[in-house]
Amino acid sequence: MSTEAMDVPKGFSFDLCRRNEMLTKKGLKSPGYLKTGTTIVGLIFENGVILGADTRATEGPIVADKNCEKIHYMAPNIYCCGAGTAADTEAVTDNISSQLKLHRYHTGRESRVVTALTLLKSHLFRYQGHVSAALVLGGVDVTGPHLHTIYPHGSTDTLPYATMGSGSLAAMAIFESEYREGLTRDEGVNLVTKAICSGIFNDLGSGSNVDVCVITKGKKEYLRNHLTPNPRTYISSKGYTFSKKTEVLLTKITPLKELVNVVQVGGDAMEE
Amino acid sequence: MGDSQYSFSLTTFSPSGKLVQIEHALTAVGSGQTSLGIKASNGVVIATEKKLPSILVDETSVQKIQILTPNIGVVYSGMGPDSRVLVRKSRKQAEQYQLLYKEPIPVTQLVRETAAVMQEFTQSGGVRPFGVSLLVAGYDDKGPQLYQVDPSGSYFSWKASAMGKNVSNAKTFLEKRYTDDMELEDAIHTAILTLKEGFEGQISGKNIEIGVIEADRTFRVLTAAQIEDYLQEVE
Amino acid sequence: MSIFEYNGSALVAMVGKNCFAIASDRRLGVQLQTIATDFQRIFKIHDKLFLGLSGLGSDTQTLYQRLVFRHKLYQLREERDMKPETFASLVSAMLYEKRFGPYFCQPVIAGLGEDDKPFICTMDSIGAKELAKDFVVAGTASESLYGACESMFKPDMDHEELFETISQALISSVDRDCLSGWGGHVYVVTPTEVTERILKGRMD
Repeated sequence: MSTEAMDVPKGFSFDLCRRNEMLTKKGLKSPGYLKTGTTIVGLIFENGVILGADTRATEGPIVADKNCEKIHYMAPNIYCCGAGTAADTEAVTDNISSQLKLHRYHTGRESRVVTALTLLKSHLFRYQGHVSAALVLGGVDVTGPHLHTIYPHGSTDTLPYATMGSGSLAAMAIFESEYREGLTRDEGVNLVTKAICSGIFNDLGSGSNVDVCVITKGKKEYLRNHLTPNPRTYISSKGYTFSKKTEVLLTKITPLKELVNVVQVGGDAMEE
Repeated sequence: MGDSQYSFSLTTFSPSGKLVQIEHALTAVGSGQTSLGIKASNGVVIATEKKLPSILVDETSVQKIQILTPNIGVVYSGMGPDSRVLVRKSRKQAEQYQLLYKEPIPVTQLVRETAAVMQEFTQSGGVRPFGVSLLVAGYDDKGPQLYQVDPSGSYFSWKASAMGKNVSNAKTFLEKRYTDDMELEDAIHTAILTLKEGFEGQISGKNIEIGVIEADRTFRVLTAAQIEDYLQEVE
Repeated sequence: MSIFEYNGSALVAMVGKNCFAIASDRRLGVQLQTIATDFQRIFKIHDKLFLGLSGLGSDTQTLYQRLVFRHKLYQLREERDMKPETFASLVSAMLYEKRFGPYFCQPVIAGLGEDDKPFICTMDSIGAKELAKDFVVAGTASESLYGACESMFKPDMDHEELFETISQALISSVDRDCLSGWGGHVYVVTPTEVTERILKGRMD
């Protein structure tokens, strides 16, 4: 009993699949999911890795979240950008991050990027692309800086610079023309920002702000909203006032009582 | 077959209502190396002897105090290999909690889960109870906490406790020294003095281990050098 | 027709100064036929935590029952109420478990956390959390709600102003959605009291 209530769902439950399939057959369409649309990029510079992402989440043509986080924590020295179905990227990175932590406790060493890579790709391969997460994984470990891309089916690439998501072409255009080896930190951050901006302004699935994460040996800087090229301009400072009051049919007010602390004195100790 | 006819199944009651295996497990704990813990007003300290079977053993490879989560540490008395099983299970439990609720597991919850595992091994078939008692030190929203978990699966919150070879002496010593408003530094000194009481041979940074947690909620195991500094202070 | 449009729903939550409001419409329909005009989509989890579930009515109720079960068990085990953030993570985990056969529900969670700091959040049907500082919407009227809230919302409203804003946003939005409406149900929660109001709306 306690397992049902305590445990994290281990794997997936397929209880509702039959019913949902029946509904689909009756002509009721299944819903779309929250997608990240997304431009995500990464590059290797002089002494580390820089990751970048936009911050728009979409649900079909609707902008669902104007400032979401797409750079996920994997380990203190490893971060991962996610594109695709938002729930999948979030769940897969959380899950692997947790496995990495247990692995670190076990070995007493810093996680390696290849470990994260292998765990991620075997998870994705197991689900044959149905877990739709496209990732850019970057980090610095004992063997130096690493950058990888991971496709939803579990294939991976090892690259000096990489882009993913619907804005990948726009961002890659920038990298292809301007990337070179041995960039300094500031040059790297600027190039990543420029690539993301290219996605933000040329790809409709990407938008809002630029998040950047710089990882070097023994240090990381997570620059949330490093650049905000699309601030909100249309808000009225006075706000909106309503001439006519809303018509209320019934009002019920429940005061919230302060919790009373019951102090119990004495009592028998549990038998050993 | 053992000293009792009720040893045939490891988890069957004797007519007097005892589970002999649990008593044996407690004996194993009682003959283990001394460990102790003290809850101070602003933190917790746990400490243990680290006596190695031979001077040829590399003492840096032995780590008796372990971290379960960043804000919870544990030490054992009894059988080392058994403790590792519990540490592994507890870490996994803590990690699952974190994954589900996206917040660190409270000390009480983790202790209860660990105790539940130990209880299960007193009632399942084909297994034996764990030959360890644990002292769990943590700091969460409810402040500093110290728990002792026994092979039977029972657990209590303590202000200060000891277990292993020197329990009775150590507990008497702690009873004399303990005060409710004790601060962590005091507690560390008291912990060292308590260990020193029943210590055979010369105490040093290499043959004891100390773990502390304070309000910053990060459990840390002191290095041999740090322990040496404390040893100087108490002399 | 999408399965989300089968029963019709409109849900919105907004943040004010040390308070929050959560509101829904009251219609339950089967496609274009209205079945009930007093349907509950907002549920109380504890005094300062409310859950709204849009989407398929049956899944809404099943999911609610499972969540209440999990929350009660948590209360018994940990002797405390869940923080809104924690509850959101739980809902997210339970939805993602059914990644390949989801509940047709889009939840909205609103609550007062530690130090009575308001928290609101919504998710898609497989548990992708979307945290917002200002307002969140869900249901068949979500598109018009986005528009209404985007223009009517302003930061740091007191509880009376918040009620007026959320009510107007809800009523004006459901008037442009065939599948939701028939009045509204609004909860405004401050650190000291919960005010529940039933709104009058168009009945067509």
